[in-house]
Formats: sequence, C-alpha cells, structure tokens
Amino acid sequence: MQTAISPKQNSTKAWLKDNGGMIGLLIFLAAFPFIVALFEGQPFTEVLANETGNAKFLQGLLIEVFILAIYAISYDLILGITGLLSFGHAMFFAAGAYFTGIAFKNYELGIGATLVGIVVLGIVQAILFGIVLPRVKGITFALVTLGMASMFHIIIQASELAEWTGADVGLQGVTTPDLINTSTERFRLYLITLMVTFLVYLVYRRFVDSPTGRVCVAIRENEDRALMLGYNTFHFKLAALILSSITAALAGFFHTVHQPIVSPNVAGLGWTVAALLIILMGGVGTLSGAMVGAAVFRLLEFFLDKQFGENANFLLGVIYVLLVLFLPFGIVGTWRAKRFRTQS
Amino acid sequence: MTGTLKKNRTQLITLAALAFLLVTAAQGLETKDWVITVLRGLSVGMVTFLVASGLSLIFGLMDVLNLAHGEMFMLGAYVGWTVFVRPDTFVDILAPLLLLFVGFILTPLWRALLARVRFSGRAAQLWPWMAAIIAFIILGLTLVSFPITKWDPEVYAESPITFSLALDQGNLALPEPKPFEAAPIIAILGTLAGSSLLASAFAGFGQRKQTGRMSQHIPRGPVITAVILLILALAAFWGNDALTEWLINIGTTGRFFLAMGVATVAGFVIGGVMETTMIRPLYDRPMYQLMITLGISFIIIEVVRAIWGRPEFTMPKAALFSGRGDACPAESIGDLIANQCSTVILFDGRIRTYNEIFIILVGLIVLIAVGLLLRRTRIGMIIRAGVQDSEMVEALGINVRQVFTFVFALGVALASLGGVLAAPSIGLSSVMGGQFLLLALIALAIGGLTSFPGAAAGAILVGLIQQFIIKYGQIGINIPFLDEPFKPSPPLVPASVVLLMVIILLVLPNGLFGRSE
Amino acid sequence: MGNLLEVLNIHTFIGQFHILEGVNLEVPQGSITVLLGRNGAGKTTTLKSILGLTPPREGKVIFAGEEIQGQRSFDIAALGIGFVPEHRAIFRDLSVLENLKIAERKKGDLARKEAFIFNLFPDLKRLIKLSGMNLSGGQQQMLAVARALVPDNKLLLIDEPSEGLAPVLIEQMMEAIRQLSQDTTVLLVEQNFLMASRLAERYVIIEEGQSVTQGAMADLVGDEETIHRYLGAA
Repeated sequence: MQTAISPKQNSTKAWLKDNGGMIGLLIFLAAFPFIVALFEGQPFTEVLANETGNAKFLQGLLIEVFILAIYAISYDLILGITGLLSFGHAMFFAAGAYFTGIAFKNYELGIGATLVGIVVLGIVQAILFGIVLPRVKGITFALVTLGMASMFHIIIQASELAEWTGADVGLQGVTTPDLINTSTERFRLYLITLMVTFLVYLVYRRFVDSPTGRVCVAIRENEDRALMLGYNTFHFKLAALILSSITAALAGFFHTVHQPIVSPNVAGLGWTVAALLIILMGGVGTLSGAMVGAAVFRLLEFFLDKQFGENANFLLGVIYVLLVLFLPFGIVGTWRAKRFRTQS
Repeated sequence: MTGTLKKNRTQLITLAALAFLLVTAAQGLETKDWVITVLRGLSVGMVTFLVASGLSLIFGLMDVLNLAHGEMFMLGAYVGWTVFVRPDTFVDILAPLLLLFVGFILTPLWRALLARVRFSGRAAQLWPWMAAIIAFIILGLTLVSFPITKWDPEVYAESPITFSLALDQGNLALPEPKPFEAAPIIAILGTLAGSSLLASAFAGFGQRKQTGRMSQHIPRGPVITAVILLILALAAFWGNDALTEWLINIGTTGRFFLAMGVATVAGFVIGGVMETTMIRPLYDRPMYQLMITLGISFIIIEVVRAIWGRPEFTMPKAALFSGRGDACPAESIGDLIANQCSTVILFDGRIRTYNEIFIILVGLIVLIAVGLLLRRTRIGMIIRAGVQDSEMVEALGINVRQVFTFVFALGVALASLGGVLAAPSIGLSSVMGGQFLLLALIALAIGGLTSFPGAAAGAILVGLIQQFIIKYGQIGINIPFLDEPFKPSPPLVPASVVLLMVIILLVLPNGLFGRSE
Repeated sequence: MGNLLEVLNIHTFIGQFHILEGVNLEVPQGSITVLLGRNGAGKTTTLKSILGLTPPREGKVIFAGEEIQGQRSFDIAALGIGFVPEHRAIFRDLSVLENLKIAERKKGDLARKEAFIFNLFPDLKRLIKLSGMNLSGGQQQMLAVARALVPDNKLLLIDEPSEGLAPVLIEQMMEAIRQLSQDTTVLLVEQNFLMASRLAERYVIIEEGQSVTQGAMADLVGDEETIHRYLGAA
C-alpha cells in the first residue's frame, strides 16, 4: 500500500513544487483587493460589500486583464501551439459576447443555459473554420478567416439586425443576472474570472502535454512529417480549433457580463490584432506568455492612457517596436531562453 | 493551346462566372448608370491597385505582410496635402530634413572608417550608446531652432480644414514666415553633426553584430549623394522665401503634380529607411515582422493625428480638374481639355474628370510602368526570380538585400502615390489607411498573393463589385418571391466584397493568377 | 596541384538542430570531387555552408587562399563559385534566356559563353524563348547547370544532377559535367554511385554530419567494405 501511494504523494509534492509560483500568484491575486484596501485604509467589509473605491476599481481592471488572458491564450493554442495563422479570432470572442448579450437581453436566459449555448456556439464556429481548413493553408487560411470574421463584423452592424445586435451602436444596457452582476457583486465576479483564468491555463497545459497536444506541436513544426507518421492532421487541428473557439467564446461571455455593453469593435480586425500583440509580447507558443502579455498589454494601456492621454497610442506603438527589436521571443520566451542557457 | 486551356480550367470558369455576373448586373441599368458605375469601380480599383501592388511585391519577394502599408497610403495623402495647400511649410521643413539625410546617408562611410579603428571590448560595447545619446541631445537642441510655419490642428481658424477651404475658394492667405531665433549656421552644423553621430552609432551597433572581416573600402556613391543633398539643403535654406514664392505662383495644377511627385519620393525614402532599420533585422522571424509593421502603423497614425489633427478634412482639386465655366460640363474630350472642366458628359452621364478619368489614367500609367519594369529590366528579372526563390538569386552572386530594399521602397512609394491621388476624391482621415489596406488584402487574395497581374485584376474586380453593389443598394434588387426590391443597408456592401474573396479562395486557394507550389 | 577549396571542421546549425558536426574536405584545383553519404547525412548542407546560405558557426572555409566563412552569400558567390541546387531549382517564371541572363555578373558574360553552353546542351538553344515552367525535368536540370556556367566560375557546386533523370539523360549529363570540368573545378553531390565513380577523381564521405573519410576514387571503388558501411548497397 505504502509503495503504491507514495509515488502519487511524491508527484503531488512535485506538482506543488513545480507550480509553487503559480499558486502563490493565485493566492496573492485573490487577496489583492484586501491588500489594496489595507493601503487605502478601507475596511475589509467594504470590499466584501463592493463599495466604491480603488479596491473595486482595480478589481474591475484586473477582471479585464483576466478576460484578455483567456482570450489570448485561446489564440496561442491555434497560432503558437498548432501553428495555424488565423486572422478571424475576434469572431470567436465577439460571437460569444453577442450571444451572451442577446441571451440575457432578448431571451432572459439563465447563466447555465447561456454557458451551454456558448459551448455549442464555440463548436459551431470551429466547424465553420474547419470546413475551409483542408482547402487553404498558411497565409491564405489567414485571409479566409479574416474574410469570415469581417463578414461577421459587417453583418452584426447591419441595420436589418438592429433589434438583436443594436447595429453599429452595439448592445447597450444588457441586464446581467444578479449573481454575477459586475457592479453589485464585483468581488464574486473577480474571484470567478480569476479561477476560470487559472483553470483555462491548467486545462491548456494539460492539453499541450497530452498526446493530442503533442501531435498539434508536431503539426506546427512540420505538417508533412506528421501526415507521414499516419496522423490525420485535420482532426487534430479541428480539436485545437474547437477548444480554442469555446475558450474565446467564454472570454466573450465574461466580457459582456463585466462591461455590460458590447461594441461592434470586438468583432473587428483590431481585436484579433490585440490577441496577436498579446501573445507576441508574452511569447508565442508558451501559454503562460499569453497571461503575462495580457497583463502587460492592458496595464500598459491603462497607465499610458492615464499619464499621457491622447499620446498613449503613440507610446504603445513605440513600445511594441522596441519590444520586437530588443525582446525577440517575447517576455516569457526570452526569459525561458535565458534560463535554459544558464542551466546548460 | 488546349493544354493551357485545360491547365487553367478553374481560372477560366471563375473568370467567365464573374463576367456573367457583371453582364447580368448591367442588365437592369441604363447605359449612363452602367458607364458611370464601371468608371467609378475602375477608379476605386486603381487606387486599391496602387496599395495592393506594393503589398504583393513585398509579400512575394520577402514574405513580409506589411500591415503598415495602409498607413503609408495615408501618409502619402497627408504629405501631398501639405505640399499642395501649405507649400510654405513644405519648404520650411525641407532644409532640416535634407540635412538629417546627409548624415544618415554617410553610414557606409562610418562603417568603413570603423573597420579601421577597432575599439576594444568594453569600449566597443559602450561607445555607440554614448554616441546615440549625445546625438539625440544635439538634434533635440538644434532641430527645434529651425523656424517652421505650421498650422495648428487644435485651433479651427488655423487648422488644415480652414486652409483647405480657403484654397478651394481661392483666398488662401498664408501666415508670415517665422524668423530664425539663433544663428542659422549653428542649427545647420548642429543638425549635420547630430545626424552623423547617430549614423556612426548605428554603424557601431552593426559592427558589434558582424563577424568575419569588414570591408575597409570607402564607398564613393553615398559620399557623392551626401554632397548633392547638402547643396540642395543649403539652397532650400537660403532660398526659402524665393522657393515658397515660386511654389505659390505655379498655381494649383503645377503644385498638384509636384505633390504627387513629392509624396512618391517621400514614400520611397520612408520605405527604404523602414526596410533597412526595422524589417531587415527580422527576416528570420516572420511573426515579429508582422508585429513590427503593426507597431509602425500605430505610430504613424498617432504622428499624423498629432501633426494634422484628428478631424477629417478635404484636399481641394487642382484647377485642371475644377473648371466650372460656361462651356462646362464639357460635351466631348476636346472641350474637356480646352476648358479644364470638372465634369464631362459621356453616354448622357455626368462623369467627374478627376475621380473617374484622371485617377484611372494615372493608375493605368503606373500599371504599365511597373509591368515594364518587371518584364523588361534586369532588376525586374531579379525580382521575378526572387519571388520564387530568393536564396537561389543570392547564390548567383546578386546582392539580394539591395533588391529587397528597393522593392520595399518602391511598394511604399506606390501606396504613397495612391494616397495623394485618392485624397481629393475621398478626403483625408486617420482611418483611410485601414480601409484601403483591407481592400488591398482582399484584392491580393482574389488575384493570387504574389502575382503582380493578379494584384491588378483583383483590385479592379474589388472596385467594380463594390460600386455595382452600392448602385444596387440605391435602386434595390428584385428577388423572386419578394414584393419589394431588397435594398441592402450600406454596411452590407463591404460584406459582399469579402464574401467574393472567401468564395474565390475556397474555389481557387491560390487566387485567380496564383500558382500552386 | 594545390587545393582550390578547403573546408576545415565546420559546424552548422539550422534553427536549434546541429546539422554539421565537423566536416573537413579538400577540393584540388581542376578535379571533380564527389560528396557521398546517405540521405540526410548533411551533403546539401555542406554545399550551402560553403556558399554561406547556411553559414557555419565554427570552422573555416578557404577558397583560393582566402577565408570566406562569415561573408555574405552573394559576396562568396561573386568570388567565382557557381551553385546548381537540387530539385532543378530554376526560375519557373523566367524564360530560358532570362534564366541564363540573370546569372551574368558582368555584361556580356552570356555572349561569351553562349557557344560553349549550347554545345554542351544543344536542346536549350531550341527552347530559348520558352518559360521555365514549360520545360521537362531533364531540360530544367540542364538549364540549372547551364546557368552556373554563364559567369566565369572557378568552382561549381552541383547537387544531385542525376536525380530523377532517365538513364539516357544521365549519360548526357555526365558527359556535360566531364566536359565542363576541363575548365572548372567541380564539387559534386551524387547518390548514384555508379555515376559518381565514373566521373570523380576524389571522394569525401559524410556520415551524420561528419566527414569520415576522403581519398582517391580509384581506392574507393575496390573497397567494398567502406562502400557497404557508409553508402549501403552500392
């Protein structure tokens, strides 16, 4: 018995040791609102009661970071891990966001039903991309997905659909269920999005380490070789697409819940580019880079906006260019390369 | 013959289907509407072509998808506007800009000199940084002392909008030139010193990376160019008032053609600088090239907003295209040329000279010129070969890096020309680049990503289809089983063009003119 | 007879992969030297490393007494090295004439060499206006060799000239290489051992990124064991 259990204990211990940093971060982030309250001299009860203040405001900002992280990591799965360059990723996100808004606003669906809808929606979209997958490769796939996403972007703005999508104004005044209302239940929503972000990260890491994920990496490295080894690469790419699409739609769900408005911009090329920038900043194909990148991206944007107002975008552009020239593999990627070099 | 037919069967079928669609599209229209719609489509198509052709050459040869290409288009429009509406500012800016270039163009000279003076270890690491910092300080102090008569984007009375309107109404009053605050000679020498120092810093950075032996040969070309530029800069500086006077006196037509030329040259220089400094270090990291072009596009948009302001404004048309005398609208081409009318009657329809004739004409000239460059010259031959296999071109002993720079510069120059050409008809705004980048990407996808004829055909198709659908949006489409004609709302127009791209890509993944690998 | 080319212990990486782990070879002036080895042994990478297309990280490449490693590929090629890549990499969008013209380093190169080239490959003269993509495999291979002959090259690197050719064409190709080697030194990569043994005077065997043995071809032909060990059944 003892011998049977101990390796498991060992592996749990090893797991804890390997992921100590992550767990520490999780605990720190969960306690973060209280730490802010401590500095501000705000009683903890006010944080729990979601009173206005810096603690609540910063939670809101971090929720945005978490949503971006979920969205960006889903892009990293298809681009960084599987090697599919898609320019239509915003569609996954926007469809989730719009679906959530319409479900809450026009049909008054519950949270559970909406989430089921999100999963179905994710699968449907992934299959839509999957249909074109065997026909087009490389940059052409990027253009076809860009085309599909642009059509989605244009159609949701059509005045014919104003009743549902709000045309070019977007969805306004979505009433979110009280349970996860961003203004009255901010702390709960904060904890939920935090947990979901880490869960998504763990699931993704598990996926990448699984045999399926390994094949996905092999496809990125050399699709012909993977084909020769007898893998039906299409199935693996589709699997990655489905997982990615559901995750992105989930990010869209939280986006609508948190905002709670949906602008047509989230379906535009700019939103795909945001995901691309985030994972390029963090490091392509590293997964954790998407999380780091999301934090840097949103916080940088926030502080630059606060400090420099209108000039913020200019500085952002300069920072991107400098990052690319001097941090060639993204933040996490460069850090790993450095550590690897010092070890060997 | 039958062999080619068979090989291109899918292409031919697709082309036939498109032709059929166009003919049916024309069925319900009167001749004049049809002609106008076709001309408008061609006009949009030609502007798209100017953006798409550069994009396709750059992508074909270097595999770089230049996402800043739309912003180059926009920059061309703004530069052209400045030359056209505010020649005084253009002249003011000429001297410092040329002086900067004199310094930079000497980089190869520094490289050769540095190869002789070898710094050791720590010094080699540090001195370029020191040089760069000192250079920035010098430039920061001297560049600002050049007096530049600028408009104020924040104040309406002195904004680009107001100057544009004033020029259009023929009562443009330019502000008094500002006097020089310090001694001019210090500003000139300081700028020269600063840019030279910066160039030597760059050469120093480059030297650190390079392994193997460096050439100590002093290149003659850059030195001669630098001397010529220096003379031009000094002439622009001391001849400032005379030059401004002359530019105002040559009238709007002459100035417009000058604006086109300046925008093209500016695009060429910007493209060349962009390739050598930012794209070149990243050829082995394609994803990051994508990101750097994105970063550049953000920067350019913000620079444009800072200099020209956020509001949209128009660019007046040159006198050649805006005659409104008694003889206008002209009845024939002869009348048109004689009276410089703004419109001409053809097939009973009023056709705008600039939008629907001049733009198409310039587009055609560029199409033929670039086509000849690719088909008839040695560099064109090298480009066509490089599109297929640039490594092999290099293995033949051809300096393919120089060709890369040339093509990048040429592509940006074409986009820039497109921008200034389109500005009088679509106006200037900081989002115009993004719109045309998307159109150009669609055109490329339709035509085949790396094919120059494909870019042209794709762009024209995109323009035609877009205009026909706009036309039908106005008159409505008769759909069976519907009582009223269906009028698509304006946002649906771009969707149809995108849909066309998706369909064509699914039928022909390599586009109409592309070839499978 | 001095060495035109000497490769001293080069190490080449492609991405993270260590492809060449110490290759040494000598190509004497005026000879035909053949690089032998199994598929994936690093023969093509050796040629590309000499040219700087995949620059070696360590080691020396000495061409005509000058160290050339680390220089830019086009500078190396311009010193007088011609390259005939595998898979008949001609420019498909260019006509036969343009394919030859593009290789000119000085004006008039082609005019001077025309007679010689068309004497070697009479077919090409007839096809001069045709686009590269309309040529048959054998014609493409001949064009690829002809292209390397246009400028005055001291050394030709030829990668698998017989690959995928019909036996008749292989004979013709061999004859052409033998003739051109009268003016030019040749370093050849060849899978077809029979062809290699009839053409070359010297051999170098590469195995898993390392050069294992080199010497006179005549010695190798009798050495069944070496042939079997490094090249499989010959």
